[in-house]
Amino acid sequence: MIQELFTRELFMPSLEATTKQEAIEEMVAKLDQAGLLNDKTAYLQAVLHREAEYSTGIGMGVAIPHGKSGGVTTPGLVFARSQAGVDFDSMDDLPTFLFFLIAVPEESADTHLKVLSSLSRKLMHQDVRDALMKADSYDAIIQILE
Amino acid sequence: MKIVAVTACPTGIAHTYMAAEALLIASKTLEIELRVETRGSVGAENELTDEEIQAADAVIVAADTSTPMERFAGKKVLEVSVKEAIKDPKGLIERAKTAPTYGKALVQQVDEIKTQKKSEQNSIYKHLMSGVSFMIPFVTAGGILIALSFAFGIEAFKQEGTLAAALMKIGGGNAFALMVPILAGYIAFSISDRPGLVPGMVAGMLASSLGAGFLGGILGGFLAGYTVNFLKKTIKLPKSMVGLMPVMILPVLSTLIVGLVMIYIIGGPVSAINTGLNNWLASLSGTNAGLLGLLLGLMMALDMGGPVNKAAYTFGVGTLAAGQPSAVMAAVMAAGMVPPLALALATVIAKNKFTKEEQEAGKAAWALGASFITEGAIPFAAADPVRVIPSIMAGSAITGAMSMIFNCGLAVPHGGLFVLVIPNAVTNLPMYLVSIVAGTLVAAGMLAILKTKK
Repeated sequence: MIQELFTRELFMPSLEATTKQEAIEEMVAKLDQAGLLNDKTAYLQAVLHREAEYSTGIGMGVAIPHGKSGGVTTPGLVFARSQAGVDFDSMDDLPTFLFFLIAVPEESADTHLKVLSSLSRKLMHQDVRDALMKADSYDAIIQILE
Repeated sequence: MKIVAVTACPTGIAHTYMAAEALLIASKTLEIELRVETRGSVGAENELTDEEIQAADAVIVAADTSTPMERFAGKKVLEVSVKEAIKDPKGLIERAKTAPTYGKALVQQVDEIKTQKKSEQNSIYKHLMSGVSFMIPFVTAGGILIALSFAFGIEAFKQEGTLAAALMKIGGGNAFALMVPILAGYIAFSISDRPGLVPGMVAGMLASSLGAGFLGGILGGFLAGYTVNFLKKTIKLPKSMVGLMPVMILPVLSTLIVGLVMIYIIGGPVSAINTGLNNWLASLSGTNAGLLGLLLGLMMALDMGGPVNKAAYTFGVGTLAAGQPSAVMAAVMAAGMVPPLALALATVIAKNKFTKEEQEAGKAAWALGASFITEGAIPFAAADPVRVIPSIMAGSAITGAMSMIFNCGLAVPHGGLFVLVIPNAVTNLPMYLVSIVAGTLVAAGMLAILKTKK
């Protein structure tokens, strides 16, 4: 199921961005390239709006920015890794290495939302985060998240 | 130590679930029993039940959107932002133990518990009414079709392949056969929701086939409903097997338990009552006619289709020698006509003491009573047995006694007023009608006095 949302082209093994804003924009551009968005600006606004409530950098090196917007045509998610780490305004004030950017249309099927909720649950486990940091291929990541 | 928690976040996609998982992980290391309800964009999942909330020592609400809070009144409640649950789940659990009590003043809480207790008592009535209201259309449909079959002549249905036989089969063989299962099934449904339907209907079916009648069905329905609730509470399955509960475990176990109880605990006494009564009645023949009629009347109205009624009816049929009018049979039929007639009359003279639904059912009850379909009174008796059954017993007893004393006779075992078209089926017809009317008036009068306003 997770492959439906997280396709091969949405894996970004090394993010170039060094700031939070850049990181989000870089990932949103990836979603746009993959053809999941019909209104990139609207979706970006939704993500930034959500970040303004409080940062989705949940600490432990993980951030999970997300937006629900009419600008999204197909639900999906980007998984990106930064080798240097990004200051994502995290809850524990430490740099973030793992990013999941989630895009959900205004009306979305429960099946997709359930995949996303179980992904969120997995990220709370130390062993999952460690494995994601080390995984060297798209397939390895799918195996961890499956 | 038991804690329940609710998590919710603005978009409902990620944080709700991360917070829930963080709390669960922390609860494992702290060895605390924790249940988390998530309120994300999929809606509420793993919703907390009232029982779970009652059993919890503390409540954690980690939410950035509004969540229903009234249910936590009187509990220690810690309200925080969802991100705190992700950041420091262990700390939250510790803090929850000493959180302030949420909600209303103590006096108010006591009052609420009192009214809740009251509504629990009323809920038995509510369950009963739920079963009754589902049963009413079956009684009406079945009864009217049987009456229609009689319209072709009261023996017409014995001729196979005729419309009369078909009508009898539809009404008597099937619609009426479903009556008690539906009653029991929907009593159980009202108590324990969908899982109650299976054991309830099976219990009702068994009550019918064991001859325990509608009273046995009511018993079976309540038994089924509370058995399911008990099983739901006591059986704890690992998460991976929870899906088996509604499809496998609950239906099989509850039906097994309820079925065995019906057969071994209810079935035994019922058949004993039946044989005992039969022997007793046989020993009575030849005693005072008025007294015998009175007893038969009481029996006909007591359980309407149950073991006592059956015993009286069978005794009556047994006195029929081919074609010869029998006084006992006449008394039995007259007494059996009184309950529905009395209730029909009562819904007219004391309208405000019956629900709208009952008033409608009352109209059909005229036809059912006139056709000697005693079952027409069952919905009323099931809904309010304590007031209805004594009233109709009194009426039927008077009718039975009068019919015997006036030495009325009947040559056929059923048919109600349809027998009037058969020459010589009834002897002393005028007094026979007087007997029926007298019992009906008495029973309806008692109903009008005893029943409470709706």
